[in-house]
Amino acid sequence: MENNNTSSGEKKQQCSDVSKCFQLLEHMLDGELADVSQDMLKEKLDKCQPCFAHFHLEQAIREVLKTKCTKHPLPEKLADSIRQMIQDAR
Amino acid sequence: MSEVQRRKYSQEEGSAIFDGEFMPHIDSMYNFAFRLTFDEDDAKDLVQDTYMKAFRFTNSFEQGTNAKAWLFRILKNSFINDYRKKSKKPATVDYQEVEAFYNSDNEDYQSTSDLRAESVKDMLGDEISNALNALAVDFRTVIILADLEGFTYEEMAKILDIPIGTVRSRLHRARNLLKETLKSYAQSMGYGKDEVED
Repeated sequence: MENNNTSSGEKKQQCSDVSKCFQLLEHMLDGELADVSQDMLKEKLDKCQPCFAHFHLEQAIREVLKTKCTKHPLPEKLADSIRQMIQDAR
Repeated sequence: MSEVQRRKYSQEEGSAIFDGEFMPHIDSMYNFAFRLTFDEDDAKDLVQDTYMKAFRFTNSFEQGTNAKAWLFRILKNSFINDYRKKSKKPATVDYQEVEAFYNSDNEDYQSTSDLRAESVKDMLGDEISNALNALAVDFRTVIILADLEGFTYEEMAKILDIPIGTVRSRLHRARNLLKETLKSYAQSMGYGKDEVED
């Protein structure tokens, strides 16, 4: 993520390198950038509104996919029939 | 699948691997199969076939490696080879062929956002699920693997037999398409607009 923060503590409303920042944020959310610390992330997001919004949107999407795409319930006898099938094949 | 190495595991060892390492993933396997086929019977057959293959090829499974990724790879290949062919749905363009024309390292990341995190969080499971199901199978697959099942890019590359750069770019495109669908849901439900203040 880029470093050219404004001198005050205010958030920038425009990100000067959206493409690079968003790519990094998305890879981070996918767990592919293990070496970025939470403090560092927070500091960056506090300074840039577009990055902040993008990060939280991407995080929310991953979260709802994981929690709300309910697992389709396993048919009752499937596990048993597979075990039986393997038993017979042995 | 690599070549079967004969007599690598004793029958006892084979049983222990099957019961201890393969069977625990049956829920995830069925969920994946159902989201690929959208049909309970097809999903059941696909999972059964996959476990039968896993049994026959147990010797090519390396103990200590990721059994879930190994099983998902078999299921994905069975789906492509057996189920996709017999599907009565009209032929769709194979995304893999299309994306070969693009440079995967040159992905454009843009703000798509009329969509807000709060709107997404307010959506119902059915809406999220429908948006996911509406994606073409190659896009749907990477989202299932990454977000529902938590596979890494590297594991996904192995499961899908594609380079890691392709995993990255396909996942990015899949999420953008998903966001477009969610955005249209949000707008139709009035989530998209800020509350009008008096």
